Amino acid sequence: MLSRVALLFALLAITATAQPANPFAADVQAAGVGKGIFRIYCAPCHGMRGQGGRGPDLTLGVYNSGEHDADLFHTISAGVTGTEMESYGGTLSDENIWRLVAFIRTIGNAATPTAIKGDVPHGRELFRGKGQCSSCHMAEGQGGRSGPNLSRIGRRRSYAYLRASIVDPSADITPGYATVAVILRDGKKITGTERGVDNFTVQVMDLSGNFHSFDKNNVASVTHETKSLMPDNYGRVFTSQEMDDLVSYLSSLRGEISRR
Amino acid sequence: MKTSVLLLMMGAVIGQDTGWRTYGLNDAGWRYSELKQIDTGNIAQLAPKWIFQSGLPGTMETTPLVEGGLMYVTGPSNHAYALDLRQGKPIWHYSKTPPKGLGLCCGEVNRGFATIGDRLFKVSIEDTLIALDKASGELLWETQIADHRKGYTGTVAPIAVKNLVVVGTAGAEFGIRGFVDAYDATTGKRVWRFYTVAGPGEPGADTWGNKTTAGEAWQRGGGSTWITGTYDPELNLIYWGTGNPGPDMNGDLRPGDNLFTCSVVALDADTGKLKWHFQFTPHDTHDWDAISDPVLVDLDVGGRKVKSLIQANRNGFFYALDRTNGKMLLAKPYTKVSWASGIGHDGRPKLIAGQEPSDEGTTSCPSLGGGHNWQATAYSPQTGLYYFGSTTGCQIYYKTRHDAIEGQWYQLSTVDDAKGPPLSGAVIAIDPKTGDTKWHYEMLSSPSGGMLATAGGLVFTGDRYGYFIAMDAKTGKVVWKFPAGAGISAPPITYTYEGKQYVAVASGSSIIAFGLP
Repeated sequence: MLSRVALLFALLAITATAQPANPFAADVQAAGVGKGIFRIYCAPCHGMRGQGGRGPDLTLGVYNSGEHDADLFHTISAGVTGTEMESYGGTLSDENIWRLVAFIRTIGNAATPTAIKGDVPHGRELFRGKGQCSSCHMAEGQGGRSGPNLSRIGRRRSYAYLRASIVDPSADITPGYATVAVILRDGKKITGTERGVDNFTVQVMDLSGNFHSFDKNNVASVTHETKSLMPDNYGRVFTSQEMDDLVSYLSSLRGEISRR
Repeated sequence: MKTSVLLLMMGAVIGQDTGWRTYGLNDAGWRYSELKQIDTGNIAQLAPKWIFQSGLPGTMETTPLVEGGLMYVTGPSNHAYALDLRQGKPIWHYSKTPPKGLGLCCGEVNRGFATIGDRLFKVSIEDTLIALDKASGELLWETQIADHRKGYTGTVAPIAVKNLVVVGTAGAEFGIRGFVDAYDATTGKRVWRFYTVAGPGEPGADTWGNKTTAGEAWQRGGGSTWITGTYDPELNLIYWGTGNPGPDMNGDLRPGDNLFTCSVVALDADTGKLKWHFQFTPHDTHDWDAISDPVLVDLDVGGRKVKSLIQANRNGFFYALDRTNGKMLLAKPYTKVSWASGIGHDGRPKLIAGQEPSDEGTTSCPSLGGGHNWQATAYSPQTGLYYFGSTTGCQIYYKTRHDAIEGQWYQLSTVDDAKGPPLSGAVIAIDPKTGDTKWHYEMLSSPSGGMLATAGGLVFTGDRYGYFIAMDAKTGKVVWKFPAGAGISAPPITYTYEGKQYVAVASGSSIIAFGLP
C-alpha cells in the first residue's frame, strides 16, 4: 500500500514537472483575443462573463478537472467524458486554446474557503434534516434523484448563485428539470420533466418515473411550467445563519477531481 | 442481337433521365424541378431506397450533383465521393487531409461540386480550388484561392459559367478581404478577381473611414462570399451575395457604409468588372451577411415584366431588385425587425436609434443568424412562390475591442440569448411580386436544410432534429416526414434514375435517396 502511494506521488511529481506552460500567460492582448473566442464557443454554456449556466461557473477560480493552466488546456482540448463539455481540439488551434486559458485566468478570482462563512457540518444536518433537501438531491452518495445531483455543485456554482437558487428556485432551472404539462386531444394531462422535443414529437418522464412519447398530432397543448418543482419557501424556513450554513455545505461539495 | 436491343433500350431510358448539374439546379438558382412522379397524391408512399453512410465526423452541407448514373457528393474535411445511383455504393472516394489550425466559424464543411464536361470542381477547406476527373476522382489540378494562414477558408459550391469556374471565399470573422474569383476550367489559372472590399483608389474606398483608421480597415474588411451566386446568360452577369464587414460587432473601426459588404454585386462574367451593386445593410454590426441565394426571376411589376433578383436577406427584409441595374423594386419585412422601420425608395434602411451592439449588450431583432441565413431557397413557377427557412426572435449583441492578429478570430464579440421567448423558426412562402407572406409554417427552429420545390406540388426540407419533410407547396401543410437519424443541414435534390423519380438529401454525413414503391 505504501509503495503504491509512493508511486502515485512519484507519478504526480512527474506530471507536475511535465505540465506545459501557457505561452500567453498574463498576456493581456492574448486574453483579449481569448475573450472573443470565449464568447463564441464557451459563453453559450458558461455565460457571457463565465458566470456559469448550463456549464460550470468559471469565475470561482477552481475547476473540475484540475487547477493548472495545462489542466484547463486539456479540458478544453479533449473535453470531459460523460459531460456536455465537448472537445475543442479539432476546432481551435493550440494557440487559441492557450489564449482562452489566458482569458479564463483573468475572470477566475480563486475563491477560497475563506469566502464560506457558515458551519459546514450543520449545513449537512439541515440538508438531510430540516430542509429535506436530500429527499430530492443527491450529495455525498446519499439522496434522491428527482432534483439535480449536487455532489459537485461547489465546483459548478458560486456561493451567491447557490443562495439565490435556494430562495428562488424558479429563477434558473437546471436544464432537464423544467416541468412540462402535456394535454392530449382526449383531455388527458401528463405532467413531468421534458426529456425531448422536436417539431413532431414530445417526450416526458412523469413524476413517477414513467416514460411517455407523444406524436404532436395527438397533443392539444404543451405547456412549459416556469415554476420549479422545488419548494419556494426556504427563504422563510431557514434563518439567515442556517442559510449560511447550508450554502457553506453546498459550496464544500466538490466531489473528486477527475484525473485524466 | 438481343443484347444490343436491350442495350439500346437501356440507353434510351438512361438518355431520358433527369440529373442535377449545378448548385441551384438552374443558373437562376430556382431549385425547382419539373419532375412530378412524386406528388401530393402519392407522397405518403415515399420511402428510403438506399443510404450511403460515409462514417465521417462532421456534417454534409452538400448539394449533390447527378449525371450519367452517378451522384457526386462532397463531404466535410475535404472528402468527396461518386455514388452508384442504383444502391448508393461509392465508385470512387477523393480525400485530402486539411491542415490544422484553420480559422473556421462553423466546421470543415463543404457545399458541393460544379461540373463542366468530364470534370468536377470543388473548393477545399484550406481555400484551394481543385479539379477532379469525373470518371476516376483523380486530381487534375489544384490552385490556391487564398492563404488559409491569413484566415481564408473554402466552403462554397462553385458554379460553372462558360469555361470558367466561379468561386467565393469564407473568413470574414478572421480579418480577410473578400472576393469573387473566376478560374479557367482547363488550366486552373485565375482569369479575374473582384474584391468585395473596396481598396484605396477603388470606387467605394471612401466608405471605410480611411481618415480615422489610417486606411487599414479595408485590409481586414470581411465581405466573404461563402454561398454560391447565380448567372444570367442573356445579360452575361454573375450575381453574388457578400458577407459582413469585419470586425463584425465593432463598427467604430470602420466608419462608413463599408462597400461592398452585405451587398449583392453584379459582375461581368468575362471580366469580373462590377456592373452594379446593391447594399442591403450599410455599415452592418449584426453579422447580417447578404449571402442568401440571389434568385433570378422575371416579375410582373405594374404590368411590365422586370428581370428581377429576389432575396430573403438576413437583416429581416425580403427584397426584389431590378437585376439589369440594381434598382430596388420592393422591400418588406418577413420577420420581427427592430433595427429599421422600413427601407426607403433609395434602398437605404430607415434606422432606429440604439440598436448597435454595446459593451453591456443591446437587444436587437432579428438574431445574429438573421431572419434567413444561408440555407438554400426555392422558387416555384407553378405556385409563383419563393420558399425559405426563417428564424424568429431577438438576441443580445455585445461589442468588445482587441487588436487584430493575422488569421485569428476578429469578430469583436458576439451574441447571447435575449430574455423572453426563445428563438423559434418557420418555413415561409412569399409572393415575390408583392413581398407578402402567403403561408408561414411554425417550427421550433429554422429548418436547417435548404428547400426544394417540385412540379409535384411539393416543397421538401429538413430540420436539425433529423426530420426530412415534405409540404404542400400551396398551403404549407406537412404531408410527409421521415426521421432520418441525424440533423439535416443540406438542401434536398431530385432526379430520375432508370425513369423513376428520386429525392435525395444529406443527413449528418450520410446520403439518403427516397423513392416510390
